[in-house]
Amino acid sequence: MKRAIVSGALAVAAIAALAGSAWAQSPTPGGMPPPPGMSLAQSAAMRFPQPVRVGDLLGRAVLQPVESQNVLGRVRQVVRNPDGEIMVVIAFGGFLGWGTRPIAVPVDAMVLLGQDMEVVAYTPDELRRFPTFVPGGSSDVADDTIIRVGLAKPSH
Amino acid sequence: MRSRFRPDTIPDASVLESHKPLIRSLERRGLIRGGVSLGALAMLTGCDVDRPESVESALLAISRFNDTVQAWLFDPNRLAPTYPESMILRPPKFNAYYDVTEVKPVDGASWRLELAGLVADKRPWTLADLHALPQRAMVIKHICVEGWSYIGGWTGVPLRTLLERCGADLRARYVAFKTADDYPSSIDMATALHPQTLLALKYGDETLADPFGYPVRLRMATKLGYKNPKWVTAIEVTNTYPGGFWEAKGFPWFAGL
Amino acid sequence: MHESSRSGRRLHPLPLRIMHWVNAVVMLVMITSGWGIYDDDVIIRGFHFGSFWRLGDWAAWSLNWHFAGMWFLAINGLIYLGYGLVTGRFREKLFPIRPAELVQTVVDTLHFRIAHDDLTIYNAVQKLLYIVVILAGIAQVVTGLAIWKPVQFSGLVAALGGFQTARVLHFAGMAVIVGFLVVHVTLALLVPKTLLAMLSGGPRLGVSAPDKEEPAR
Repeated sequence: MKRAIVSGALAVAAIAALAGSAWAQSPTPGGMPPPPGMSLAQSAAMRFPQPVRVGDLLGRAVLQPVESQNVLGRVRQVVRNPDGEIMVVIAFGGFLGWGTRPIAVPVDAMVLLGQDMEVVAYTPDELRRFPTFVPGGSSDVADDTIIRVGLAKPSH
Repeated sequence: MRSRFRPDTIPDASVLESHKPLIRSLERRGLIRGGVSLGALAMLTGCDVDRPESVESALLAISRFNDTVQAWLFDPNRLAPTYPESMILRPPKFNAYYDVTEVKPVDGASWRLELAGLVADKRPWTLADLHALPQRAMVIKHICVEGWSYIGGWTGVPLRTLLERCGADLRARYVAFKTADDYPSSIDMATALHPQTLLALKYGDETLADPFGYPVRLRMATKLGYKNPKWVTAIEVTNTYPGGFWEAKGFPWFAGL
Repeated sequence: MHESSRSGRRLHPLPLRIMHWVNAVVMLVMITSGWGIYDDDVIIRGFHFGSFWRLGDWAAWSLNWHFAGMWFLAINGLIYLGYGLVTGRFREKLFPIRPAELVQTVVDTLHFRIAHDDLTIYNAVQKLLYIVVILAGIAQVVTGLAIWKPVQFSGLVAALGGFQTARVLHFAGMAVIVGFLVVHVTLALLVPKTLLAMLSGGPRLGVSAPDKEEPAR
């Protein structure tokens, strides 16, 4: 009896340890990078860009599209660069918000994920090599402006 | 020294020959290629190592019991908390069993809502027909089984109104849905008749966008997110358990909040 | 209880031992299946549990384990609470806790003086830990109910500070219980006779002293 209970406990521990085949809930994980050879604009267009108010994006967490949802940074500002492209300025890197630096990521490389955003077109390593954003030449996009941003399903 | 595990009599080599067709057929099924691994063991038993069939059926039996408990806990008169319009997340959060790039937009003009089962008037409904019915708006929390939530604002036809108009048997047990994205779903009649169960046509005063189920999706304040099919194309009233997409994969059916 | 009539009550009477080991198994199920559910939408950004730690090969089965385990946890827990209150075991074993004693035990432990000569008496730290983990277990049921039925129990959810806060509290409660488990299992392994006592019942208590603590039966 006692032994049965103990071996039961051990069995559960063993079961817990074994748990884990690769079957994931999502046949297609969200936030996949664009297929090779496709431009950012083309891949963003496939993501059903939705209207969103710029002011509603400020302060949002920017996540890496992986199960652990690593925080890459926070949205600080939205700007239009000299070429007329909408860029999202992210307070990037650092630790718990300390020691970040601003980088400008094309909005077409990003998606909306509920109250957060994700960078789908660049890996964290690629983002680390982005130059630090300097405002010269770019113009701020006002909070009330409506821009269009693509979507992704959650990654897990 | 001779191994103690070696048989005393060695079988004739012709045995191998006689078993070749069987081995080949097994190989074809990929069983031998899989090797003697836990993975192969799992395939042989037809399920996963941590989920032997007996455990799986026990868990599903408890899940069905939980469905009964949940139906008993469900208070048809209790309204889910609502929120001010200023808290609506625009756009809402997208989720499906595939990524957004796979969404196939539905043409609203040719769209028809088919009715089936225990319904007196099975004439299909057009989008204009639905817009002509009394509408209800609600700002409610969308809660996903995964754990996330957001506040969304939905406007549409109470499912109860539609069921009453088409003469559905309101004492039937289930209301089942078919969708354009092959995502069958079903709910209990009590929830179907709840005032916060809508066939949503709008999100935050705007026509529903393609990724969120245009032209018509189900939105219930009293069920988890996965119970709310998008791009609804048919409704059936029935007494036979209809199941659903995730339910067939093991998720609980009632999924009430 | 015929054991006491024979030669004194055991330190851990049989019903208590059964409840303890049922709880041990169910807690493992709840914790590891909870980790599987957690992974679908992490609370601590950047942290998820590897598949090794999850019960259920994906979310549906983690959920099914969790929603099956909850009944065993709640029913076993209720019986345990009833037993502890009715037999006076809680009053006898867990109270009183004197602050000075608490400090002394911590100091002793830091000097690697773990006194476990008398298994029948819990030191102040043990008492506190047991009380904390019992309360954490109750809190898990309450926050769990809030997450399971946030509309039917919307008042409870509001009292807890909202659905997402209830989720975080449920996660924090798990962390408290896991923290307790680490200490509890470590000590049980360091002082194996405590572990054996939870299997065999442990030493028989003196016939005279504890019997008067027991309520009339």
